Amino acid sequence: MTSDPIKKLGEGIGKGATEGFLEYSQNKIKELIALFKEKKLRFIGDKETIENAKQTKNSGELAFYKDYIQDKELLFIVRLGLVLRRIEKNSEKLQNLKEKIRKKYNIKGLHIAYFAQNGVLNRYVAILLDDLDSPAKLSEIISNTLNNIEKHTIFVNWRYNKSQLVKESTTITSAHSPEIFIISGVGSASKIIKESEESLINMLNKYELQKFSKFSISTGNKEILFFKRLIS
Amino acid sequence: MELISLKKISQESKILLLKELGYSSDGEFVLDSEGKKVIDKYIDIPVRVDNMVIFPGSELILDDNELSIMKYMEEFEDDL
Repeated sequence: MTSDPIKKLGEGIGKGATEGFLEYSQNKIKELIALFKEKKLRFIGDKETIENAKQTKNSGELAFYKDYIQDKELLFIVRLGLVLRRIEKNSEKLQNLKEKIRKKYNIKGLHIAYFAQNGVLNRYVAILLDDLDSPAKLSEIISNTLNNIEKHTIFVNWRYNKSQLVKESTTITSAHSPEIFIISGVGSASKIIKESEESLINMLNKYELQKFSKFSISTGNKEILFFKRLIS
Repeated sequence: MELISLKKISQESKILLLKELGYSSDGEFVLDSEGKKVIDKYIDIPVRVDNMVIFPGSELILDDNELSIMKYMEEFEDDL
């Protein structure tokens, strides 16, 4: 339970002279520390941060992935992606968490988190289910894809142009032949992807674009294309 | 279990809290008893007084962000 200190802790608290912050007397500080040492209270920061951290723990989406991702650290990054999705509308919090993910897990970890955040992982699994022969196989493919995300996905940013995107897509699909190849972008990158779609379809002739609405993601600021490898 | 938000508490009171726990501050960062910056163990960055949380578990002082808090919750099996 989060409490308002001025109501819960009674005497010994005064309003700060500036900015309305609460000030504790020396005695009140000692009282708080005694309670802390007895593990009767914790000092948190922003209540919203705590809520964000707690909310995804028991989500149905995470429960599903717990069954298929055995690597705890990988699962944790997927969970971070779900938190990113939850805070998408708070640009300051979003940017802050992205920086922390990148600091801890490098750009690859951030891309894995994006994969979950943008719903790509869910749609990826949905496409796989068409040809799946066992749950163990699904688990193996998900882990392999996340651990080798750069061989399966291009995260387009504003620095890309159409020819660069088509060239890189051709290079990745030729080198790694992923079963499903994904191109994902938000913001200005979504426009680059839209403009490149026709060229990509022509160049990636061993793949077919998944046009079904349940798979594609095309909104004002997100564009995600799923190419499925053709059976030769 | 009570949760007290440090966001509502003055900088001076936060520093008093830290001193009572054996820490200090240079006005910006949390310092340990040897005067070294306290590092968030999960993301390896120095903890700022204006963005700290203090949890039980050997008086764990962390940066206030979802990643560190989720890691803490997992390690100490604390649902906050």
